[in-house]
Amino acid sequence: MQADSQRASDGRHWASLIQAVAERGDRAAFASLFDHFAPLVKTFMRRSGLAEASADELAQETLLLVWRKASLFDPSTAGATAWIFTIARNLRIDAHRRGRRDGLTDAADIDAEFQIDDAPGPEANMATSQAEIRVRAALTTLSDDQRRVLELSFYEEKAHGDIARILQIPLGTVKSRLRLAMNRLRGLLGEPS
Amino acid sequence: MTIRHHPPDDFLTGFAAGTLDLGQHVAIATHLTGCSRCRRTVRLMEHVGGSVLAEMQPTPMSDDALARVEARMDQPVMPAARIAPPRPGALDDLPELPAFVRRYAVSSWKWIAPGLRFRPIQLPTDSPTRVFLLQSAPGTAMLDHTHTGQEMTCVLRGGFQHRAGQYGPGDFDLGDSSRHHDVVVDAGEACLCLVAMHGKLRLSGLLGAIVQPFLRL
Repeated sequence: MQADSQRASDGRHWASLIQAVAERGDRAAFASLFDHFAPLVKTFMRRSGLAEASADELAQETLLLVWRKASLFDPSTAGATAWIFTIARNLRIDAHRRGRRDGLTDAADIDAEFQIDDAPGPEANMATSQAEIRVRAALTTLSDDQRRVLELSFYEEKAHGDIARILQIPLGTVKSRLRLAMNRLRGLLGEPS
Repeated sequence: MTIRHHPPDDFLTGFAAGTLDLGQHVAIATHLTGCSRCRRTVRLMEHVGGSVLAEMQPTPMSDDALARVEARMDQPVMPAARIAPPRPGALDDLPELPAFVRRYAVSSWKWIAPGLRFRPIQLPTDSPTRVFLLQSAPGTAMLDHTHTGQEMTCVLRGGFQHRAGQYGPGDFDLGDSSRHHDVVVDAGEACLCLVAMHGKLRLSGLLGAIVQPFLRL
């Protein structure tokens, strides 16, 4: 499928730019990453309820951490966009907790909260280098309703009760759609449900 | 360790999305520490988060945004941004807990009722969900109680059962106001759980009426 191969080459492209930053401090590669990802992260922050200036600042912080942490990026365990998503997520949590009292942090304590002792066993990983492509392809097979609930779970900093109000459907329906969506994703990706 | 009871998908999604409060996050992280199935689900959901990010409509950055970041790229990382050196954790005797939880401060054990005591874990930031360890003697029947909010229970050692089944190490139980708990701790071994409680616990029965005023549960 053409869309798949497009996504595949996108993913490899961004991963190779992050590696160029890690290996030789490649500023041109960083500028490309910034131009592409900072505006996406800014939208993510805006949708999470942050004001324009704060969202802009947190998008800058996210990309600064991409620069500083590039050597920690391992393309065999994470896709480029998933990795950048986790950096943005942790900065958003940090900003939320501190009430934006000061803008300079690397959210190290939040990173620690997401470090789960994880001895990789034979069953531990799906083929992560391909995971991003497969997840994005799998998402396109969900119903619009299922995808919408899944998306709202991420970028609105909202409980599922709020999602129910936004979509004007009962809370039970939000939960059942989410469960269906996740079971379908697990099935498509060969995970036991 | 066979884990039979897992957190509902909305909590695993909320964990990956970063939308849980810290107390809930601690409970899910505790389950994940022992459960590779749910760790895979969380990783899958982080990839979904990446896809959601990739599909967003871009919002233009401020004009000097890249220049401001570039100006900071060569600056040394601030001391505050370095990761604190590992120090002995108050809960290091519980390898079932995630590393970041083992470093939290804890209060001393408090008596609740015969065979039942609890030990608050002090979260570093305010959370509407309180977290504590709960230890029950073998064979204890939990006090009758109901919840005003959600209660997450992670079994660390020992086990218990109620009408939804048998729970052992690694299992996760979600209680809410719609469920009535009729918990009986397994005979032979004390049961140690991490509990994350949102809202208030209402004890019922005569003993509950006696101890409730003294407990800030």
